This record gives sequence, C-alpha cells and structure tokens, in this order.
Amino acid sequence: MHEATGSLVGCRILLVEDEYLIVELMSEWLSRAGAVVVGPAPNVKRAIELIEGEENALDIAVLDVNLGQGKTAYPIADRLNELGVPYLFATGDVRIIDNPAHKARPRLEKPISQGELIAAVEKLLADRPPRIC
Amino acid sequence: MKRQQVLADFGEFALRSNDLDKILLEACRLVAHALTTKRAKILEIQQQGEILFVRAGVGWEPDIVGRLRMPVEEHSSETFAIAAGRPVISQDINKENRFKIPPFMHEAGVVALVNAPIFLPGGRTYGLLQVDDTEPRDFGDDEIQFLRTYATILGPVIDRLLIARTLRSTEEQYRHTVDSALDYAIFLSDPQDRITHWLAGAQAVFGWTAEEAVGQPTAFIFTPEDREMNQPQREIEAASETGFAPNIRWHIRKDGRRVFIDGSTRALREPDGTLLGFLKIGQDVTERRAAEERLMESEERFRQFGEASSDLIWIRNAETLQFEYLSPAFAPIYGQSREALLDGDTIERWLDLIEPEDREHVFSMIKRVREGERITFAFRIVRPSDGEIRWIENSDFPLYDAAGRVQRVAGISKDVTDVRRNAARLEVLVAELQHRSRNLLGIIAAVAAKTLGREGAAADFQARLKALSRAQGLLSQFGSDTVELGALVRAELAAHVDAQPLKVVISGPKVHLTSGQVQNFALALHELTTNAVKYGALLNSAGKLAVSWQVNRNDKGRFLALAWIESGVDVQPETMNRRGYGRQMIERALSYALQAKTEYVLGPDGVRCLIELPIS
Repeated sequence: MHEATGSLVGCRILLVEDEYLIVELMSEWLSRAGAVVVGPAPNVKRAIELIEGEENALDIAVLDVNLGQGKTAYPIADRLNELGVPYLFATGDVRIIDNPAHKARPRLEKPISQGELIAAVEKLLADRPPRIC
Repeated sequence: MKRQQVLADFGEFALRSNDLDKILLEACRLVAHALTTKRAKILEIQQQGEILFVRAGVGWEPDIVGRLRMPVEEHSSETFAIAAGRPVISQDINKENRFKIPPFMHEAGVVALVNAPIFLPGGRTYGLLQVDDTEPRDFGDDEIQFLRTYATILGPVIDRLLIARTLRSTEEQYRHTVDSALDYAIFLSDPQDRITHWLAGAQAVFGWTAEEAVGQPTAFIFTPEDREMNQPQREIEAASETGFAPNIRWHIRKDGRRVFIDGSTRALREPDGTLLGFLKIGQDVTERRAAEERLMESEERFRQFGEASSDLIWIRNAETLQFEYLSPAFAPIYGQSREALLDGDTIERWLDLIEPEDREHVFSMIKRVREGERITFAFRIVRPSDGEIRWIENSDFPLYDAAGRVQRVAGISKDVTDVRRNAARLEVLVAELQHRSRNLLGIIAAVAAKTLGREGAAADFQARLKALSRAQGLLSQFGSDTVELGALVRAELAAHVDAQPLKVVISGPKVHLTSGQVQNFALALHELTTNAVKYGALLNSAGKLAVSWQVNRNDKGRFLALAWIESGVDVQPETMNRRGYGRQMIERALSYALQAKTEYVLGPDGVRCLIELPIS
C-alpha cells in the first residue's frame, strides 16, 4: 500500500519535530518516497547547526511550530527565508502566526497522514523557483 | 626731700610706661624705699568689693604677690580704711584690738601697718596702698601725708591704664573675632568702592591675599555677566541710598572657580552723614546651595516617579498613620479623589473604603508593618465612584529613622482584580484542557478496542495509551506542569503489579520532571515495566527490582541519573536477541527528545538500564 513512489528521489529535506514518535514516522514516510532526511532536529539549535553545516544545499524543510517549553521553529523559518529554502509548517498549534513571511507558507494540521505530507512536499518542490546556479 | 624725689621719679616712670603691673611694682618699691620699710603692696578690690587681690608688692614671697586673694573682713584695717576714705595706721597690732589682720601678714610677722585708700577719678575706690613693718613703729604725720599724696597720684595713673587696657582688649577681641571668621568674607571699600581692608575670611573665600586685593575695585570678584550688567555699581548705589543692599549671587575666585555668596553691602557714614565707604560681608554657601539643589533634585525625582507611576505609592507617618505622600494613582485605583481622602486624613477614613469584612485584617497588617515587618497582602475595596468591589494588592514596608525606629510606613498598591480574575479563568481552562485530553485518550482506547480487538498488538497499544494517560493524570493532579519522578515510577509499577511487593525497591530524592519530559519518560518506564512483567524480575517470585536515582552535576549542569536494575532473573536465550519497540523507545526517544544518555544491558540475571537525563 505504501510503496515508494520515488517522487522525492534525491531530494534533501530538513525535518524539525520535537516528538520522537512523530519524527520517526515522518522520517519513514519521506525515506520511502526516496527523500534524504536531513536531521531530524528536535530543537532550534540542532536545526540551525544542520542548516549551516550542510554541504549539499537543502531542497525544502518541514517544520513543527511548537518545539516545547515555549520554543518555536520561527527562528529556523527566518534563516530558511534568508537562504531561499522553501518550507512548510506541520503543526497542531492553532496560535496565530504574526510574521507575514511565515503566514504565507503552506501549513499542515496535525495529525498528518502520509498522503498529505508527501503531496504537500511534492507541491512545494514543484512551486520552487528555479535555482540560480 | 627724699620723698619729693620719690614722687617725681614715680611721676616720670608712670608717664613713660603703659604697663600697669610694672608701674604698681615701681610704686611699691619707691614707697618702701621712701618710708624705709622692707614691705609695701597694693591691694586691688575685686568682685564688687568682696575680695582683695594682692596686685603688686615688694618684700613679700612670690606665692603672695599676684596670687593671693582674701575676703574683705568686716573687722579689718583694710575695710575700715576703704570705708573711712583715709589712711588708717596701726603702730603695734599686738597692743590694740581694733582690727584683725589677715593670717598671711600675721605669719610674716607684721606688727605695724598703714592702709591708704587709692581713689580713681570719680571717687570709686580702686584699692589700698599698704605699708607694713615687722617692728612696732610710729608713722609720722609727714609720712602719712606722703602716703596720701602718693595714693592720690596713683589713682589717675591706674585709671588711665585700666581704660587703655579695656579699650585694647575690646579692640583685640573685635579683631580676633573678625580674623577668625574664615567662613565669612569681610572687607571694606572706600566711597569709590576700592578695597581698603581685606580680612582673612575674604582671602579664604576668594583666594586673593590682602596685598593683591587692596586697591582693587570690588567689581573684580563679580562674575563677568554681573559686571556687564553693572551689578557692582548698582549694589553700592542701593547701599548708599538705603544703607543696605543684599548681595546674593555667584562670584569669581582667584582660581576662576565660582562661589555662591550670601551677603550684603552696608554704607559706612560719619555721624554727619559723610560717606566713609562700604562694609561687605558675605558667606560662601556654594556647598550648602549645592546640597540644597541635590536635595531638591532628589525630591523632584521622587515626585516625578510617584506622579508617573500607575501603581499607587504612599507613605504614612508611623505614629499618626496619616499620609505623608499619596501618589495621584490613588484616584483611578480607589475611585475617589485624593483631596476627598486627605481632607481630615485619618486611618479610619481610608479603612472606610475597604470592604467591611477585610477591614480588621488590613488594619492588623498595617500595625505589623509598623512593628517592622514587610508584608504583601490583598484586600477588597468598594470603589465609591461605581460601587464595584475591587481587589487591591499592597506591598507594605517600614521606613526607619537614623536611630533605627520605624518612622514611616510605606507601600505600593495596585488593582489586581483583573489579574486575579484571569488567574482564576486560566485555572478553569487548564483543568478543562486536562480533562479533555485525558478523555480523548480514553476515547481512542475505546475506538481501538472496538476496531482491533483486545489481543496481541492491540493489547500493547491499549497498555501504552494507558501509560500516557497516567502521565497526563499525574500532570493535572499536581496542578502544575511538572510531575514528581517517584510518583511516576510508583504509578507505572502499581499499574502492573497488584500489591507493592517487597522485591521492588524504589529510592531517590524528589525530582520534578517537566511536561515535555514526562511523556517520553513515562513511555520508557512503561516499556521497562512491561518487559519486566513479561520476561524479567516481575515475572515470578525469584526476581528482584531496584529503581534508584540521584541528581548529579557535570560541566553541562544538573542531570538525573536513574538506575533500573533487575536481578534473580532466569534470562532465556531467545530474549537475549529481542530488540523490540520498548528498547528502541528507551534508547532513541530519550536521547532524541530529552538529550538523555542511556545504557541498556541484558545481563546474566536481568536487565540493567541506566538513564542520565539533563534537568534544570
């Protein structure tokens, strides 16, 4: 039923999510679709380390908004904006996102199914402006 | 002839000398010489005629002359001579009983004596010229006449020197006073306002010496601005007209520094009105003025602080409990104007604003602060403006005087009605949220049971959901967002082991886990427990389990070190290779989500699991 579509082959995706059980599942889904999961990262510090340390640039990122203890993924989103890396939010949070640069991003509401995640990632890749080489 | 000579010599000496003591000594010497006695002295009347002082003398021991004071005896030759106003003679005191003679003269062997009174111009008696002899002696009329003449000459001489001395001492006192007044700049100027006298105080205040200042116009100590405005001239004009002009302004010192002088200029005039010049006296109040300015600034700062604060700031006198300060925030908070409260200010007037049930408590708090306590407390007021009941929180504290007594009671008050309302609302919301999430877990468990049945994987799912639900329950039970580790461990074991068996030992200090830590930690404990029930220490009576923990510290901070140690377990070979979901949960989830370090070993007699978890 969940066979690898191969639609994401070679695609490098940063995954930020503090819940181990959820991150495990999402990693599995993305890997099966052929993606290379960068991370995953449970917090801002680790995510930024991964972003700055990447030799091969990221293609996209999937960010959980609420990272626990009052921390959010917005600083990561800011950095990705600077780098021009597209991303989407996967969140159970209903809180308002103030920053218009964040508000415009696609948003998946938890609980997320495998189909929803893969479709959203594929769309993000398709809408991506062509890279300047 | 000899006596004539003596009078002439004395007259000459007295004219030449201005030293009273030397003149009196010479008078004694000459009179003793003229009368061929060895002793003569002058007694001065002191203390309104109570005392006779041996002012000068010859032939007497040094401990008597200039030292001895004797009371004026009623029955004495001296008293008699002063009263009679003429010389009194005793030829041989042993042969008469008219007078007592002073003990010191008796001791000296005096038997004959003459007391001649000395009168000052105007008739006041200055004292006595006294000639003594140790032999009985008959004083001749010519000798008595000589003594009278001599005493008569002495009077004016003494008077002249006494007046001179009084004048000199007054002048000296005056000069001394003026010279030592270093805090006051005092100087004189002539009618053209050129400095003529520049005293020590002026030098101390302005820095210029008398040599430098004398001859200068007084304008030279004024500031350039004042000179520009013709201030020096205006001042002496005012002083000339009215006799006096204030001088309260900045002046310039020799070193260029400015000093603030509080002083005045007075015109000095001859009795006929001719202007002699000006007397200027001023005090350097620069320091005092600066201190006053600092104080004013500090008061202004406090006032601004109080006026700007939206919290009410107040200070009461500790004794009367009347307000010494009440910031404007009173009106919006209490719903009454400050004026209305402060008009006839008493503590009762303020207590009237407080909800009757709270009054006694509030008053007792104020009294405790007066005893030196710092207290924060809340009470209700009934706001006169709208009749609404509002909660006020007071942080009250004592203010002490220099002696350490509570002089004032002060505090900060704020309306906490909304804060309290929000806190209550939040409590309700949190309780509701916890209720909903636990309900949701229950519903999921029910749906799973209906959908998947109660066997195999579905049973494991149910058990894990229950473990999560227990952790949620503990979170809500503590009413906060932390759970005590001991409670978590006991709850998990209690869910799987019917009675608390002796073979399970749980020990460790109280450590609180945050909500973020609780969920993963609860699942890890659940996996360890179910594993122990299925294969390990809790499977049968042979096994033992020890769960212990402590808080340690390393260079990264505090961390919890928990040891789960099973023993007495008959480990089956097939379980050795099991690497199920539970172990994965422990090893990976804890390190991923909680940055924990874990060590999981299946030893020959059971599982040994060590978890090190950073805590704050």
